[in-house]
Amino acid sequence: MGVLLGLEAEATDAEVVRAVLAGDVERYAVLVRRYRDRYARYASRMLGSRDVAEDAVQDALVRAFDRLADCREPDKFAGWLFLILRNRCFAERRGRQRMERSLDSTDEMFAAPDRPDGAYEQVERAQALERALQHLTPEQREVFVLKHTEGLAYEEIAGVTGATVASLKMRMHRAYDRLRELMKEHL
Amino acid sequence: MTQGYHPLVKRLLDGELSLAELPSELRAEGAEALRLVGAADRSPVTLSSALDERVMGTVRRHAASPGQRAWRWLNTPRNIELRLRVRPWTVWAGALAAAAALALLVGRPAPEPVPGAQARGGTRDSVLVRFVLYAPGARRVAVAGTFNQWDRAAAPLMPAGTSGVWTTTLALPVGQHQYAFVVDGARWVVDPGAPAVDDGFGRRNSVVAVTTQGAHL
Repeated sequence: MGVLLGLEAEATDAEVVRAVLAGDVERYAVLVRRYRDRYARYASRMLGSRDVAEDAVQDALVRAFDRLADCREPDKFAGWLFLILRNRCFAERRGRQRMERSLDSTDEMFAAPDRPDGAYEQVERAQALERALQHLTPEQREVFVLKHTEGLAYEEIAGVTGATVASLKMRMHRAYDRLRELMKEHL
Repeated sequence: MTQGYHPLVKRLLDGELSLAELPSELRAEGAEALRLVGAADRSPVTLSSALDERVMGTVRRHAASPGQRAWRWLNTPRNIELRLRVRPWTVWAGALAAAAALALLVGRPAPEPVPGAQARGGTRDSVLVRFVLYAPGARRVAVAGTFNQWDRAAAPLMPAGTSGVWTTTLALPVGQHQYAFVVDGARWVVDPGAPAVDDGFGRRNSVVAVTTQGAHL
């Protein structure tokens, strides 16, 4: 078993993709183990729920398998899978926005009690930010998550999303203003 | 209505300035903004251990479905090793026959190429499909698709003189294929003479359906 794990760890994404395409379906488990958690935080912050994020990651991994023959560059499987997951997260948000439109959620939900406890304030602020992120557009939320949660530079975000650095900065700056408005009770 | 952050404070949040570099009248606003982005939850998220088995269970079912198996069989490139046992004189005879056939073909006027993918003869299970792209100024053009695992180097097109027209002919197995041209090794271009479909990831692929009667766009 040790030898098998060693081989799995050494196999490149491209080697695994080619083996799966050649009929060795079980090798796909290597890619599942390799990427199941890597994008979990991104999906979780984008969707505002770990459970919904888990469904999204599961769907993305299954869809990637179904369309593996379309993966133009098997050595860039990670980026290709990210794009599938990203599309899935955007579609999920759009669907939920349609459902939630009638619920008329308001900014009162961010009103925080006035407490002197600093640690409690930090937790409250973090929770308020999580909720506030769900009130941004998906594009604004994505750039905030990739920069301030995942720690990517604008140039790296441009590389994975295909947007220009200038447009990313514009989205982010609008997000800052919107978050300030939504978080005014917590700052 | 809360006022938006000052542009210099936004540069602070972007990491382009430090708090000390802000004018003194903006430092309180800067500190507030840093509290906002500092609230971002960077703790890792671990998904349920049952996810692996759920994914693999679904994947196994999909792989076992006849449609998926047929599609994968059509799309998966394979190495074929051909071993022949021949007498040396037959090699020379074959070479002479091939040279004679080539001599008959040379000199025939070539039909004017039009953009797109066009079918010609071929074997029972494959059809010769001609790919044509008008790309004046291109240094090199190739066609990549599901039939060659999107390998950008596997099927280069040749320029037809200096007309800007590039062509190649490939033997494609019967089935539906998605493809795109690759100009200068980097730029993906859909075939203007063929229908295109969204590949699901924000790009377009051209489609050709190959049957024993020919290629259909």
